[in-house]
Amino acid sequence: MTDCGCDKAKAELEEYIHNELTRGEAADIAEHMANCESCTGEHLVGLTLSSKVKSACNEKAPVDLRAEVLLKLREISVSS
Amino acid sequence: MTVLLETRKPVLSETQRRGAFGDLELSLMTIETPEEPTPVESTDAVDPDPIDEPAADDVETTVAPAQTADVRALFEEQAMQYMDQLYAAAMRMTKNPADAADLVQETFVKAYTAFGQFQQGTNLKAWLYRIQTNTFINNYRKNQRNPYQGTIDDLEDWQLGGAESVTQHSTTRSAEAEAIDHLPDSAVKDALQSIPEDFRLAVYFADVEGFSYQEIADIMKTPVGTVMSRLHRGRRLLRGLLAEYASDRGIAAAPAPGRKK
Repeated sequence: MTDCGCDKAKAELEEYIHNELTRGEAADIAEHMANCESCTGEHLVGLTLSSKVKSACNEKAPVDLRAEVLLKLREISVSS
Repeated sequence: MTVLLETRKPVLSETQRRGAFGDLELSLMTIETPEEPTPVESTDAVDPDPIDEPAADDVETTVAPAQTADVRALFEEQAMQYMDQLYAAAMRMTKNPADAADLVQETFVKAYTAFGQFQQGTNLKAWLYRIQTNTFINNYRKNQRNPYQGTIDDLEDWQLGGAESVTQHSTTRSAEAEAIDHLPDSAVKDALQSIPEDFRLAVYFADVEGFSYQEIADIMKTPVGTVMSRLHRGRRLLRGLLAEYASDRGIAAAPAPGRKK
């Protein structure tokens, strides 16, 4: 690890990925990454992890559930 | 890799945490999205309700407003679209389809009953998630095996085990990213299921749902700093598990004999 700003960049990479940094902070990270292979790699792994988790968790509710819930809501409306 | 849950620091937290999660007044369930970070509510200041007295049960008995057909139509139009997402989250929470379906149904019933308290124009998805998370914590989590799961935030990194050794030995980061990308969804879900629940939910809320840290803090009723820590540790564990899985199955660009340090 060098002293080129990697410590700061790596510490903030997760917030960068989650879009939690201010525009200025994000620009600093982006600028640093343009010249830092190591942080670019970390960023890539982090992004891949996020997108992989997202796509893996893409599940549909069972068809019956929607009908059951709607029925339940109607029951509540009637009984109250 | 094993996540060491049994070691824990015997300090605070059991009551603190119960305090943090016990107050399920639906009246408090308005999620706001503040422009700037709001001061975090001190959970200590809240009278800690016992966790096994979910106030949500009061909803049916004490609130029970007569919902008109209009309200029902509005609710159905606005809220039902989130069913798939809430179900997917419920699967990560309960870990099985039957409980997940029950949890989602309960969430919709509670949300519908309390819909009059939802402020139109605020984030309905976050509001529904908050109800579901509360319901899960009150009704399901206490049935689960590890009663000390709640103190996970107090564990040190070394107690969690983790990714360090694995990731440092990866060939290159681009190879690691490629390996992660090629993993089957089931491996990712298995890995998610095996990390501590609070970490898993934080990762889920951020990476799957794209909630902001502040929204996650509201949903999980915890300070933003805790959210960040849960996310960081959760993702670190996940990364280690996935790297391990990939190298076990030879999915990774296999580390060459003379691999980089």
